[in-house]
Amino acid sequence: MSTLAESSVDSLPISGKSAKELRAFGAQRHLSLSDTEWAAIQAHFKSLKREPSLAELETIAQTWSEHCKHKTFTSPIKYTEGRKTRSIKNLFAETIVAATESVKKPWCLSLFKDNAGVVAFGKKWALAMKVETHNHPSALEPYGGAATGVGGVVRDILGVGLGAKPVLNTDTFCFGRPDYKGALPEGAHHPTRTLRGVVAGVRDYGNRMGIPTAGGGIWFDDDYRLNPLVFCGTVGIMPQWAVKKEVRPGDLIVAVGGRTGRDGLHGATFSSANLGADAPSSAVQIGHAIQEKRVLDALLAARDKKLYGSVTDCGAGGFSSAIGELGADCGARVRLEQAPLKVSDLDSWEIWLSESQERMVLAVAPKALKALEAVFLAEGCELAVLGEFTKTGRLQVVHHERTVVDLDMKFLHKGLPRVEREASWTPVAAAKPAGGVTKKMGDAIREMVGHLNVCSREWVIRQYDHEVQGGTIVKPLQGVRHDGPGDACVIWPHAATGDMTDFSAFAVGHGLNPDYGRIDPYWMALAAVDEALRNLTCVGADPARAALLDNFCWASPEDPKQLGALIRAAEGCRDAAKGFSAPFISGKDSMFNQSKDEKGKDLAIPGTLLISAVAPVPDGRKAVTMDFKGVGNALYLIGRTNDELGGSLYFKTLGRTGGEVPKVSPAAAIDGFKALHAAMTRGHVLSAHDLSEGGLALCAVEMGFTGEFGCLLDLDEVPRDPRIYSNETLLFSESPSRILVEVDPKNESAFLRHFGKSAKSAMVRRVGQTTANPILKVTGLEGSTILEESLKELKEKWQTALPKVLG
Amino acid sequence: MSVKVAAQNTHLLEVKLKSEFTDAEGVAALALLREQGLSSLKEVRTGRLYEIAGALTANQAQQAGKDLLCDAVTQEFRMVPAGAAPMNGMNFWRVEVWLKPTVSDPVGETVMTALAEAGLPRPSSAREGHLYLLNGRALRAQIEKAFSKSLANPLIHRVVVTEAHP
Repeated sequence: MSTLAESSVDSLPISGKSAKELRAFGAQRHLSLSDTEWAAIQAHFKSLKREPSLAELETIAQTWSEHCKHKTFTSPIKYTEGRKTRSIKNLFAETIVAATESVKKPWCLSLFKDNAGVVAFGKKWALAMKVETHNHPSALEPYGGAATGVGGVVRDILGVGLGAKPVLNTDTFCFGRPDYKGALPEGAHHPTRTLRGVVAGVRDYGNRMGIPTAGGGIWFDDDYRLNPLVFCGTVGIMPQWAVKKEVRPGDLIVAVGGRTGRDGLHGATFSSANLGADAPSSAVQIGHAIQEKRVLDALLAARDKKLYGSVTDCGAGGFSSAIGELGADCGARVRLEQAPLKVSDLDSWEIWLSESQERMVLAVAPKALKALEAVFLAEGCELAVLGEFTKTGRLQVVHHERTVVDLDMKFLHKGLPRVEREASWTPVAAAKPAGGVTKKMGDAIREMVGHLNVCSREWVIRQYDHEVQGGTIVKPLQGVRHDGPGDACVIWPHAATGDMTDFSAFAVGHGLNPDYGRIDPYWMALAAVDEALRNLTCVGADPARAALLDNFCWASPEDPKQLGALIRAAEGCRDAAKGFSAPFISGKDSMFNQSKDEKGKDLAIPGTLLISAVAPVPDGRKAVTMDFKGVGNALYLIGRTNDELGGSLYFKTLGRTGGEVPKVSPAAAIDGFKALHAAMTRGHVLSAHDLSEGGLALCAVEMGFTGEFGCLLDLDEVPRDPRIYSNETLLFSESPSRILVEVDPKNESAFLRHFGKSAKSAMVRRVGQTTANPILKVTGLEGSTILEESLKELKEKWQTALPKVLG
Repeated sequence: MSVKVAAQNTHLLEVKLKSEFTDAEGVAALALLREQGLSSLKEVRTGRLYEIAGALTANQAQQAGKDLLCDAVTQEFRMVPAGAAPMNGMNFWRVEVWLKPTVSDPVGETVMTALAEAGLPRPSSAREGHLYLLNGRALRAQIEKAFSKSLANPLIHRVVVTEAHP
């Protein structure tokens, strides 16, 4: 603690210091500034003819951190693909933003600039969604890291526009396998412990705040064993008038919520560094969900009385970034002695930068202060006036009459020097499938249902309250026994809107598959968008109204190959957004997800992209689940099957490498999704489930055992690439954009009408029917039965896999 | 760094389930510790510890324990006297897991507010800790290692292992 708690330093001599000295100083204080950044700071203070204070250096380091400024995505890159080299000025603007602008959706109400993306939900309401990662803190302290991750993303939703009411939490995790037996470096937690802690953290924070946790997923891969990924998402609902926010000079800076303590120093700069054994304990905290619930209730009451003009949350960087961001266009003067403290011996810079949780900052017109105080007092929530917003364009912070920060907002927000990085990507021709063993189809299926990336997540889901607020129409666990794997959740937010006659609902779906990214991150990105959208379509959401969120988690962008792969993925996102005509509304990136393993070698995570998608379900009463509903119903397969087993679960099971990675044709895919959606809104679909890991075989198995009916599939009827002659390929290929649909025979012609003329061609075809006996029976291309598996037995394997490894 | 408050103003309260009730948390803790190699452990009972510092007298602390921190039907509480616990061979261990002073303690904060709301003097600090009473043969080093890999995280927790009477 000695280095953190030392007494305040009014000015620190940095002029004339060498890069090495500055680097050493930065390392000692966990500032994570690069040499170029140090040089820019030196030059700035040289021009001011003074030395910076410690609080100023800390403020700059926080504001310029990877966490706050997304340097990788916004800095110039020299990119070499094969033999061609080109320069990218701003990867974010050229991919995600450009694609979103080109699809022009009038229902997008706020994009990229606020704490979350906002889309219209009916005429009166708006949905706000944000997905954050909390990887580094969760690696160090799984319980506290994950819980504060949830707390942080919930505050993002409270801090978007004038505040939205959280109505859904989602969580997606990537962990090392719980049965990992190898060595781990000193200080690293075993994946099982990380999993248990993270799940408990998400559970405790979400459940205590009364927000349903109903969406997400888990991916296991040993390359995540040192760097687990924890994606926490929240959806909120707000009236459309509350989307706009404005700070006026003269407004008071009001802090609400928790007190400020020494906890959580250096969270933001910490995210810009590789994870090592020397992490500061103050970078991790224990969340206080009840405190945040008080803030939520008071804030929304104050919003509806229009008592403040703007709001943002105290996240990474604490007051320094919250006030710095709110006052970026005008200026702010802060008096730190006004801040309520947990302990009295805090230094100025500690108060200014502490990331104590559960705090928000408001811009309040002086005449509204008294009414605001009354609202917060009624909820038992503390409130303090920290200063006012000014017209000076400067960030000025005073502590007991002593100026500790006096910075030009322009330098702070625009002064970050951009360094050109190099990136390269070498296109690889698809390798021929090679290696591995041959397995009988039945054995392969049995192994695949019990695979950790497929098996039941009930052990996790049951710990979450997914029913609170009473609007979870389509639940994460479905079917006659409420234990089958749903594609997406559907929420009817009547508790927030108070309208019991409006049945508009919304759905949230996800897509993630790092195994495809190992072959080509471009196709991984398209596949992730496709998966998120088809999950939405399966439950009855409108795919034409879907909005996307991206979360990139990558290893060090200083490695040209890693950065090249990241560019491929970002370009995949761009083409997917354009192809599916679906805008990105928000996103986040987390870099430097690599650590030294037990042998001292760098272990990088596989480049990982989580796509989350949110879309309205026009009438929640027509939402569809994935379990078979009866006997003798027709099964239709939408989408074409190609020979795409590269990165597939089947190849993993056989130990085989190579093969074509699934390739998405967005135009054909979205046509299929839209046609299916039209059929669903007319009630022509009994159940629908997307084909993902394990292809057609696993999709049919899951639908069967969840509904407790069997099915008969005829592979010769599968719409496919005519060059496929293998039953295994038809059963296990992971070609994207495919959905298996159950239709009542009396509705078959009505159902097919939605697919127009193409219904008789490759896009949709009847591939079988449901049966009473819970057995999966498959007729092969040659016309004979090639597979007959008891679904009961498969379900047992599917259900017991995770509890077994967790002990 | 926070300064340790003088001993006479610090009360340590211990709240446990009465022995006739099954301690589900203890059962889960036992499984986790066994997984970490403490295979000879027979039983783990758990409890909560509250370290309350400030202007409270011993009587007031007693009242806080009885009225506020303990459910009189299922739980029992006691004030833990200062000084080392009596020793009894290697078969009974008392393990306390506390959050380090740099880590925020939401339960402690709530206890402070609740005491004030109950009409008692507001303490200057309150911290919550977890108590594990282990029954079974084990060595101190084994216990410390097993805890650091399961029930405590050395980054944010301070673990105190003492030998104890059952």
